[in-house]
Parts: sequence; structure tokens; C-alpha cells
Amino acid sequence: MASKVVKEKKRLGFLGTFFKWFYLIFFLCITLLPLIWLFITSFKTNLEFETASAFSLPKVWQFGNYVKAISMSGLPRLFLNSIIVAVFATALNLIVSAMGAFAIAREKFKLNNLLLSVIMSGVLIPIIALMVPYFRLIKNLFLIDNLGGLILVYSAINLPISVYLIHGFMSTIPKELEEAAVIDGCTFSQRFTKVIFPLSQAGLATAGVLMFIYCWNEFTYAMLLTNSERARTLQLGIRYFKSQFVVDYTSMLAAIVITMIPTILVYVFMHDQIIGGMTNGAVKG
Amino acid sequence: MQNKNGKMIFIFLLPVLILFSAFFIYPLAYVIATSFSKWNGFTAPQFVGFDNYKYLFSDENFRLSLRNNIVWAGVLGFIQVPLACIMAMILARRPKGWKFLRTVYFLPNVISQVALAMMWTAIYNAQNGVLNALLTFVGLGHLTNNWLGNMDTAFAAVIFQQVFYIGYFMIVILASRLSIPDSYYEAAELDGANILQQEFHITIPMLKPILITTITLALAYGMRHFESTFLMTGGGPAHSTSVMGIMLYTDMQALRYGEGNAIGATLVIFGGATIGLIRYFLTKNSDN
Repeated sequence: MASKVVKEKKRLGFLGTFFKWFYLIFFLCITLLPLIWLFITSFKTNLEFETASAFSLPKVWQFGNYVKAISMSGLPRLFLNSIIVAVFATALNLIVSAMGAFAIAREKFKLNNLLLSVIMSGVLIPIIALMVPYFRLIKNLFLIDNLGGLILVYSAINLPISVYLIHGFMSTIPKELEEAAVIDGCTFSQRFTKVIFPLSQAGLATAGVLMFIYCWNEFTYAMLLTNSERARTLQLGIRYFKSQFVVDYTSMLAAIVITMIPTILVYVFMHDQIIGGMTNGAVKG
Repeated sequence: MQNKNGKMIFIFLLPVLILFSAFFIYPLAYVIATSFSKWNGFTAPQFVGFDNYKYLFSDENFRLSLRNNIVWAGVLGFIQVPLACIMAMILARRPKGWKFLRTVYFLPNVISQVALAMMWTAIYNAQNGVLNALLTFVGLGHLTNNWLGNMDTAFAAVIFQQVFYIGYFMIVILASRLSIPDSYYEAAELDGANILQQEFHITIPMLKPILITTITLALAYGMRHFESTFLMTGGGPAHSTSVMGIMLYTDMQALRYGEGNAIGATLVIFGGATIGLIRYFLTKNSDN
């Protein structure tokens, strides 16, 4: 490995090596520096933010900004709403996708391939083009301004991706395992609940993590389908912080940092699974 | 072939079929059907033929939005994807810390557009934004600007905010690049090919299918671009950053459902046709 690196350096020459590191560092900066700036500035006083240099550290780290962000804006309620939506939407999406993927992957019937292609073609549909019908549909179900409406919409929007990921995973499970279970007297549903579902845990986890991140971050339909704090999610909530925090800009920045923490934590602990899922889902195109 | 589990298969498929029909097939049909009508959401829709489309394409703001969507598609497909591809090529040769770098470059993809947009709005801020501070600091103080409030720079600023977030495409291309056997490069190395030649003659031809897929995806994302612009400028100033999604949202809020759905249908059909066409040309070229 080490000798290979040396060889490449020689082949790349000085200019090539310079370009390579410039490129790597440029993208590192543009990705991280804004986030670091946001984090540091969220600990400043408003006076410091307005008058001191943008690159300075806070004189005294104002943890109070975070206390204010949490107490002033109804943040705990928004946080709870977001968690409820993300957890239930992920659960619903995974159950529905897993059942469908099981039938398509583990049984032969006339429409297997057609059905899979139709469901997968859903990723090509621009979901924002469907604002009006989604709004009308949820309104007719009396789920406007209700967490149930968001749960339903989020779990449906992500069916194509989840079915694809879970189907891909289930097709790799050896047929013999199921045959053995059938001989032992397993029914159709038991094959799903006792054999395939437990064996698909890794695939379900990947789809679930992606789904959770999507739900946590979604904004457009959270805006369209809710109109009060009752069902407002965190992403929508921080949009309104702007008006609540007119005179307290740095507390608003603190609130933004708080909303980023859950998905960043999930990412830190599960990045292999997330990156793996992304690539499984796209390589075959 | 008749399957003895037919009934159970149907029961297992039922939930996904119901949800998929309700949230994909029915809404698509609904958008296209109502795009030919005048409709405010209360009284019954009234059939008006192609009036909504005629109106849209005669509307200067809509044409501007459509143009902006095309620019978005072009930037994502032909600037962001190549940037991501170069990054994948560099990382695939496993420079020091490449796994860490890969993880960092993907990080913005797990943060919400709302948080990113609010952060960049603060960065672009005219009074105490860090971008103006940076320009002043390096002696380019005369370039300081109200980046999102100025008609001449707002569109470039919202594009700049997104174009360097290459994480998703980078990951997808990198996975494909890592599946090319090392022996190909070793053989080229023995033949005296330098790294650039290796990338051009081995990597790019081998990656063609995945590049076509990512470019197609990027074009689709460009045509449906909505969130970050909506959050940073709302389409302003003076519609300079507007896109079709924002016009659709505005029409919907004003209860002009017919016109709104004509935009939605344009998004679906025009977007699909453009993508199909470009994919066709890319695929054709790669066969030669």
C-alpha cells in the first residue's frame, strides 16, 4: 500500500499533487467552515454578533442562548412532534414496503417485474408537482393540521426507495431457508414474520435510517399540510423563529444548531449504513 | 402461472398498492386532468382547454422560472456531477484520510434544507454576514454586496449555496469507481500511462453508465428545484430566482388551482421529456 502511494505521487507530479490537495481541502472548507461559523456564532451575544469581527471567538461562551432558544420558541413541543412523525412514518413505511417487497421478491406471479418497475418509477415523479392533489387528499381525510396527515404522506412518498432497497435485500436470502420453514409447517405469513422479516434486518435498518432522516428534514409538505403549532414540526418551527427572534439573532442560530443535532448524531453512528444504502439504491440505476 | 398463495400475495401487496395509487397514480392523473380547467377549489372545475398553458407560456414570470429551472438542471447535471466525479476519482486512489473526507463531504446531505438555508442567509447577510467580512478581510471590500437582495447576484448566490454540496453524487460515483478492479490500473501503469491518462481511458469509459444515471438524476432535481430557493429568497428579488415550484405554490395559495396544476403538469411532462431526450443523446454517444 505504502509503495503504491509513493508511486502515485511520482506519477502525479508536483502540480497534480497540489491540485489534488487543493481540491480536497477546498471542499472540506466549504462543507465545514459555514457549520463551524454557525456553531461559534450561536454562542455570542447579539452585540458581539453585530459589532465584533465575524471571525472572532465569543468573549464569554453564551450557553444562555441555548436556554433561551429552548424556552422561548416552544422548541420541546416541535421536537416532540418531529419525533412522533419520523418514528411513526418510518414504521408505517417499513411495514408496508416490507410486506410488498416480500410478496414481490419471494413469490412468482404474473406481474412481479411490472409491479416492481411501476413502483420504482415513482422516484422519477417530482413530488412538488403534486402539491394541490396532496393538499386536497389530506383535507378530504380530515388530516390537515394533524400529525397523522404528515405520517401518511411521508411514508407514501418514500415507498419507491424503501421497496427498492428492501426488495434488493430480500432477493439475496437463500431460498432453502424458506423451504425448510415450509416443511416445518410455516404458513405464508409465518414465512414473512418468522423467516424473511428477521433475516432482512440490515436492509430494513438502512431503509429506516434514510427514511428517518428524510422525515426529520422535510419542509415543503410540513408547511402545506399544517397551519398551527399543534402539528408543526421542527423544520417548520425554525422558519417562524425568524419573527420570534427579531431582536435575538444569536439565540435563533442556537435553535438552528439544536435542530441539526439529531440527524448529525444518527449520521455519526450509522454513516456506513447510510452511505451503503445510498450506493445500493443507485448503482443499478 | 397460477400461484397457490395468490390470495395471500394479494393481501400482502394491498397496502403498498393502496398507498402508491393514492399518492402517485391518482395525483398524477388529477394534476393533468385539472390543468385543463379553471378551478378555485370550491366550485366545480370548468373545462377551458389549453387556456392555462397558453396563459403560462405568455407569462413573463413563468418563462423566467422555466429558464431558471433549466439553468438549475444544467448546473447540477454538468457542473455538480463533474465536480463529484473528480472527487470520486481522487478519493478512489485512497489519499490519506479518504474515508474521513468521504464522510464529511456527505454530511450536508443529512442536514435539513431549512437549517442550511438559514445558515447561508446569515452568511450572505449584507450587514454582518461572514461573506462580506471575509471579502473585506482579504482586501476586496469594494465587492461587498447584499448577496440575496441584489437582483444581479441573488440567483448566483442560491446556486452557489447548493452546487458544492456534491456528497450524494460523489458517494454514488465512488461506489461504482471502487468496483473497477485495481489490476486495470496496474496494467496501464506498466504500459507507462500517467494518472490523467488512466482516468480518461479507464475510469471515465467504465463509469459511463453511472455518470448517465447521475446526470439524469441531477437534471430531474434541477427541474423540480424548490426548497432552498423558496427558503432563502422566496423567488425574489423581482422574480430573479423564481422557479416553477415557487410559482405553483403561489398559485395554490391564491386558489388558482387550474393554473397551478398546469405548472405541475408542465413540471412532470416537460421535465420528463427533457430528461429522456438528454439521456437518449448521452446513451447514443456512449455507444459510438
